[in-house]
Amino acid sequence: MPQICFYFQLHQPYRLSDFNVFDLSNDTDYFSKDNKTIFQKVSAKSYRPMLSLLLKLVNRHKEFKFALSCSGVFLEQALEFDDEVIKLIQKLVKTGQVELLAETYYHSLAGLYSQSEFNLQVKKHNDLIKELFNYQPVIFRNSELIYNNYIAEQVETMGYKAILTEAVDRYLYGRDRTKPYLSYTKKPLPLLLKHAPLSDDIAFRFSDKNWPEHPLTVEKYIKWVEIYPEDHIVNLFMDFETFGEHQWEDTGIFLFFEKFIDEFITKSYNKFVTPREVVSKLDKNKLEVYDVPEPISWADVDRDLTAWVDNDLQKDMINKIYELENLVLKTANDQLIEKWRRLQTSDNFYYMCTKWSNDGDVHAYFSPFETPFEAYRHYSIVLADLIIKIDSENQLEQLVAK
Amino acid sequence: MNKNNVFMIGWEYPPHNSGGLGVACQGLTTALADYSGKIYFSLPYKFSGSLKHMMLLDCSHPDWGKEIEQPPFFAYDQYPALERVDPANLDLNDLAALSHSNLEKQVNQYHDQVVNNSKNKDFSVIHAHDWMSFPAGMSLKQKSGKPLITHIHSTEFDRSPVGGSQYIMKSEYQGMKFADRVIAVSAYTKKILIDKYGIDSQKIKVVHNGIDPVENTDPGNHHFAKARPVVVFMGRLTGQKGPEYFLGLAQSVLHHLPEAIFVVAGNGDLYQELLFTTAHKGLSSKVLFSGFVRGNQKSKLLDRADVFVMPSLSEPFGLVAVEAAQRSTPVIISKNSGVAEVLPSSIQADFWDIDMMTKSIVELIKNKDLSNEVVRNQNNELKDVTWKSAAQKVTEIYKELV
Repeated sequence: MPQICFYFQLHQPYRLSDFNVFDLSNDTDYFSKDNKTIFQKVSAKSYRPMLSLLLKLVNRHKEFKFALSCSGVFLEQALEFDDEVIKLIQKLVKTGQVELLAETYYHSLAGLYSQSEFNLQVKKHNDLIKELFNYQPVIFRNSELIYNNYIAEQVETMGYKAILTEAVDRYLYGRDRTKPYLSYTKKPLPLLLKHAPLSDDIAFRFSDKNWPEHPLTVEKYIKWVEIYPEDHIVNLFMDFETFGEHQWEDTGIFLFFEKFIDEFITKSYNKFVTPREVVSKLDKNKLEVYDVPEPISWADVDRDLTAWVDNDLQKDMINKIYELENLVLKTANDQLIEKWRRLQTSDNFYYMCTKWSNDGDVHAYFSPFETPFEAYRHYSIVLADLIIKIDSENQLEQLVAK
Repeated sequence: MNKNNVFMIGWEYPPHNSGGLGVACQGLTTALADYSGKIYFSLPYKFSGSLKHMMLLDCSHPDWGKEIEQPPFFAYDQYPALERVDPANLDLNDLAALSHSNLEKQVNQYHDQVVNNSKNKDFSVIHAHDWMSFPAGMSLKQKSGKPLITHIHSTEFDRSPVGGSQYIMKSEYQGMKFADRVIAVSAYTKKILIDKYGIDSQKIKVVHNGIDPVENTDPGNHHFAKARPVVVFMGRLTGQKGPEYFLGLAQSVLHHLPEAIFVVAGNGDLYQELLFTTAHKGLSSKVLFSGFVRGNQKSKLLDRADVFVMPSLSEPFGLVAVEAAQRSTPVIISKNSGVAEVLPSSIQADFWDIDMMTKSIVELIKNKDLSNEVVRNQNNELKDVTWKSAAQKVTEIYKELV
C-alpha cells in the first residue's frame, strides 16, 4: 500500500565519429552520422511507443503521475532527428500529471570536476526545459544519479528543492530506502532514494530467462510492491529505453507496464506520486541524514564511479577535458565550446571502462566501439584536434590584440 | 656467361606478408632475375596469380585445408605456443628431442612438400630465407649435392631479446652450420651470428637490403596537424621495436616542445599496455595511436612526419626507416640496427638514450636548416640502397659456390 514514484531517464549521447590522426586540423566532424540512425531506431522502438502508452495511461487515469528527466543532448537530437518525440512530451507535460526534472544539459560529470561548468550546464538545461515545455523543474537529478555531499551543496545553492539518487547500503546502514532522507549539508535538502531491487526487476531482469522469478507477472510484482506500508515511497527509477529498447516489445514489457498501472490504481489505497509532490508534503524535521562523503551512482554492482572514472585511460581523459575549461572559454568561439561540452558527456568515459564480468557486458552493449581501447584511442585524437583549434583561436586573438 | 638456376625456399610474399621478409624476397628476386637463370620460389600456400620474373611453387600441405592462400602462420607474429628460453642458457650443440608444437609440425610438413616439388627441377644453387625454410634447404642440399645459402633476414635473438624459442634458435643454428654460405642483411646481423650463434665469420657475407624508389612523394605538413611538430613511430608494437622508449621520449620532448604530437602507428601485443602507459604518464591527446596503417595512409604519415624515430632494441635491417627517409623525413635510428650502415647520415642513438634523442628531435624541429641538411644527405645515401646492388652481390656469391 505504499506510494509509487516513477522517474524515467531519457538520454542519448553524441557518439564520436571514426576520427583518426589524418583528420587532425582537417575539419572532420567529431560526431558520428550514426547518431541520427541510432536515435530514429530507438525512437521507433521505445520513445514513440512508450510515450504514446504513457499519454494513454495518463488520460485514462487522472491519478497516474510520474517524472521524466531528459538530457539536453537528448532533446537536441530529438528536435533534429524526430520532433514527434518532443510533441509527445509536450502533450504529457500539459496534462499536469508529469513532472520534469533538472539535470546537466550535457549529461556530464561536471558536478565532480568543475563547479562553474556544473552551474552553467544546469542553467542551460533549465532554460531549454522552459522554452520547450514551459515548465520550471524544482527537483534535481544528476547524471547517472551520481551524488555526494558536495554535489548536494552545489545543487542547494542553485535553488532546487530536492535530489534523486541511489540507495547505497554502505551509507544507508540498513535503514529503509523507501523513506526520504536529508542531505548532509549546511542547508539540508530532501533526498529520494531509488529502490534498486524493484526498479531493476523491470529494467534489467524482466526478460532474463535465468532469473528464478521469470516470467514477471503483474500480480507478482504488485505483491512485492504492496509489502511496504502506506507512508513509504517506492522510488522506481530507470532508463526510459527500458521499454522497447533494453527490453524489446516481444518480451511483453509494454503490456506488463500498462496492466500494472491499470491494476495498481484500481485499489483505492494505492497511490502514484511525483518527486515534487512528495517533497512539498515533507516535514524536514522528521527526516534522517544520508551522509555520502564519496560519490555514488546507480551504475553497475558497486554503485560507485568506477564505470566512468576507474582506469588510467578514463582518469587521464577526464582530467584533460576539464583542464581545458579556461582555455576553451577564452576563445569565445561558441562552436568550439559546444564541441568541448559534448565531449563531456559521461558516455564517452563509460565506453572506456575495462571492468570485467556482468558489468563489462552491460558496458559492451551500450558502446559503439568494439573495445574500450578503441573508445580511448578515438577520444584522445579528437581531443588533440580540439586543443589544436583552441590554440589557434587563442593565438589569433593575441595577434588581433597586438 | 652461364647463368645459374636458383631454387629459393621462401615463406611469405606480398601481399600476404607479416613483416620485412616478404618485401625483401620480392625486391631481391625481381632484381636478381636480370642476373641469374631461372628462379624457382617455393611458398607454403597457393599464390593467387602468377609472377613474370620467377616460377612459384605451391608447397602447401594437404593437411592445411584446400588451397590455402597465405602462410599457415605469419613468420613474425607471436608464437604463443612456444616455450621461451634464455639464449644464454642455450646449448647449441644439444639437439635432443624438442617439444612438438604445431609450428614445428607445419615447418616439417613444408619441408616434405618442398622436397617433393624439387624433383625434376634443374637448379645449381639453393637459397633459403629465414628459419622456416632451413630444414627444407638442408634436405635439398643432401639430396642434390648443390650448395646451400641460408639468408638471415632476422634472428630469434632480434625478435625476442629477452629469450625466444629454443626450437627456432636451433633451426637457425643448424641451417647456418649446414650451409655453404650465410647471407646476413647487415654487418649488425653478421655480428649477432658470430657472437650469439658461433658461426664462422668467413662463411658470412653481408648483403644489405635495397628499396624500390618511390615517385609520388609529397613531403610537407599540409596533410594533417598543420601547425604542429609531428614525431612518428611506425612498427609492430612489440618489445623488439622499443615502443615503450618512444613513450618515454615523447614525455621528455614535450618538456621542450609542448605543442608536439606523437603518432604511434602499428599493432601488436603491447598495444593495450602502451595505451595504459600513455594515459598513466598523462600523455593522452599528445601521443596518438593511429592503428595499423598501409598504402596511402602509410605514405601520408611518413610524408607528414617532421621526425621519424626507430628505437628498436635489435633490428637486423629496418626497412621502415629507409621508407621514411625516402619521403624526406629525417630519421633517428637505433644503433642496434642494420639500416644505420646504409644511412650513416641519419641520427643514430642507443634505443635507451632518451636525453640524446630528445636533444636531436628538438634541434631537428627548431632548426629547419639542420633538418634539411640531414634529409639532403639521406637522399644521397639512398641512391646506393638498391635491390640491383643487392642482386649483384648475391650473384657473386652464387658464382663462388658453383
